[in-house]
Amino acid sequence: MIQVLISGLFLGGVYALLAVGLSLAFGIMGVLNLAHGSLAVLGAILYKKSLVLYPFSPWLFSVLAAPIFMCLGLILHLTIVAPFRNLSASASVVASLIASLGVALILEDLFVWWQGWEPISTYFSFPIFNFLGLKIPGLRAVLLGTAAVAIGLSTLFLKKTDRGRSMRALAQDKETASLYGIHPGMTSMSALGLAAIMAGLAGIFYSALYPLGPRDGLDLTLKALFIVVAGGMGNLRGPAVAGLFLGLIESFAGFFFTYTSTDTVVYSLLVIYLVIKRGRRHQ
Amino acid sequence: MKIGRVSFLTVILSALVVSAAYFSEGYLGIFIFSLIINGIMAVSFDIPGRSLGLISLGHATFFGMGAYCFGISISQGFTFYPALILSALVSAAGALVITLLLAGLNHGYYSLATLGILIIFQRISQTLESFTGGSAGLYIPETLSNLHCNLLAACLLLATAGCHVLYSRSRWGFYSKETEASEEAAEAIGIPTRKVKTLCLMMSAIPASMAGLLYLARTSYVSPASGFSLTLSITALLASRIVPARGILGPLTGVLLITVAEEVIWTKFEGFNHALFGLILLGAAWYQGLESLEAGFNFIKKGFRARVYFSSDFEKNKESEIRRR
Repeated sequence: MIQVLISGLFLGGVYALLAVGLSLAFGIMGVLNLAHGSLAVLGAILYKKSLVLYPFSPWLFSVLAAPIFMCLGLILHLTIVAPFRNLSASASVVASLIASLGVALILEDLFVWWQGWEPISTYFSFPIFNFLGLKIPGLRAVLLGTAAVAIGLSTLFLKKTDRGRSMRALAQDKETASLYGIHPGMTSMSALGLAAIMAGLAGIFYSALYPLGPRDGLDLTLKALFIVVAGGMGNLRGPAVAGLFLGLIESFAGFFFTYTSTDTVVYSLLVIYLVIKRGRRHQ
Repeated sequence: MKIGRVSFLTVILSALVVSAAYFSEGYLGIFIFSLIINGIMAVSFDIPGRSLGLISLGHATFFGMGAYCFGISISQGFTFYPALILSALVSAAGALVITLLLAGLNHGYYSLATLGILIIFQRISQTLESFTGGSAGLYIPETLSNLHCNLLAACLLLATAGCHVLYSRSRWGFYSKETEASEEAAEAIGIPTRKVKTLCLMMSAIPASMAGLLYLARTSYVSPASGFSLTLSITALLASRIVPARGILGPLTGVLLITVAEEVIWTKFEGFNHALFGLILLGAAWYQGLESLEAGFNFIKKGFRARVYFSSDFEKNKESEIRRR
C-alpha cells in the first residue's frame, strides 16, 4: 500500500509540473490552452530525438530545451491569444479555446508523421534506494525533486522579480495593472513562455517514467486543466497540491480497480468536483 | 428572417430530403446519410451554442448514448420500433441527468466538464465488454432498410431545424439570450435561468442521441471510438462556427462545407485529417478575431465622426451665442 502511495506521489509530481504551467496561462490570460499537453509531448519527442545525438540526462536537456520552449510559448501567444484581444472576455475565452484545440490537432498529426505511432519512452536505468524497508526508485525520486525545484523556482520568479509581479498584478486586475504601466501583451506573452517551459519539462520527465503516445497531448491537457480547476487558477501552490492528489488517486484507482477503469474513476471524481465547486452558486 | 435567406434554407433542406429519398444506396447514399447526421449534430450543437454561449466539447456523448442504448436493446431481442422508443426514453433520461448536473456551469467550465463526461462514457463503454462489446465495438443485425434510415434521418434533421427556429423565436429563446448576457440580471428580472438552461440543453441532447440511434441502425456497428468520438463533437463545433450567418443557415451551410471537406481530407490527405481540421478551426477562430478588429475599427471611426460632429456643433453654437449677444 505504501509502495502505491509513493508511486502516486511521483506521478503526481509530473502532473503538478504540467498543471502549474497551465495555471499561469489560465490565471493570467484566462486562456484554456488545449495545446498545453501537446507541448509536453513535443518535449518528450525532442528529448528522445536528442538522445540519438548525445546521451543527455533529462536535467541537462531540460536546461538546454528551456529557450526553445520559451520561443514556442511566444509563437503560441501570437496564435491563440493575441488575435482575440479585441473580443469580449467570454468571446475571447471561446475563441482561444477553439484556436488552441486547432493547434493541438495540428501538432498531434505532425507528431505522428515525425515520430510514428510508437510510444515515446526515454527510460534509463537508475539505482533503487532502500529506505526503512521500502524500495524507492531513484529516477522517480530525483525527478520528483527536480519537479519540486522547478515549481519552487517559478514561485520565486513570480514573487521576487518585476516581471513575476506584473504577471500577478495582471491576473488580479487587468485594467488597474495597465494603469500602473504594465504592458498586458508583453506580460501575458512571457507568462505563456514560462507555461510552455513547464509543459516541456513535464513531457521530458513523463517520458522518462512512462511511455507517452504521440496523440496523448489532449489527454494530458485535460488532466492538467482539471487539476488547475481543482487547485485554483493563477496561483502555483493549489495546482501543485492538486497534481499530487491526482497522481495518488490514479495510483490507488489502478490498485483497487482494474487498470482500464483508472481513467473512469479519475474523470468521474474530477467532474463531480467541478460541478460542486465551480457551479455558479459557488463561484 | 429575410426572404432570400428563407428560400436558400428551403432549397438546402428540400435538396437534402429529396436526395435522401433518391440516393439511399452506394457511396452517394452513405455520403448523404453522413451529411444529414452531421447536420443534426451541428444544428443541435448550435441551440445552446448560439443562445446560451455554451460550447459542448462532449456533444458526442449523447450521440454515443443513443447508439449504445439502441444497440443493447436490439441485442436483447427487441425489434426496431420498440428498441427505438426504449432507447429514446433511456437516452433522454440520461441526457436529463447530465444536463441537470452541468446546468450550473458556465463557458469554459462547461466545455471542460462535457469533455470529461465524453471520456468517462468512452472508458465505460470500453470496460463493460459483456454489454457493449468493449473496444471491439457492438455489431447488430440489419433492422431497417437504408432508404428508411435516410428518410428518418432527414425527418429528424427537419424537426431539429424546426426546433432551433421555434426556440430562438420563442419566449425561452429570449430568456436564453438574457441568461447568456448576465445570469444575475436575468434572475433579477424573474427569468428561471436553471430551467432555461436545462430546456435548452435537453433540446440539444435529444436530437443528438436520436442521430446516434439512426447511425447504428444504418451502419450496424458502433465502437467507443466512433460513438463517443471527439472528432464528431469538433465537426459539429466547426460546422456551427465556420459560416458567420445567423439562425440555422450558419450550421447548415457549415455542415455542407465541412462534410465535403471531410470527404476530401479522408481520401486525399490520409494521416493529416486532424491537422487539416485543426487548420480550419484555427482559421475560424482567427476570422472571429479579425471581425472584432474590424468592429473595433468601425467603432473608432464612428467615435471620431461623432467627435467631429459634436465639435462642429459646439463651434456653431458658440458663434450663434456670440452673434446673439
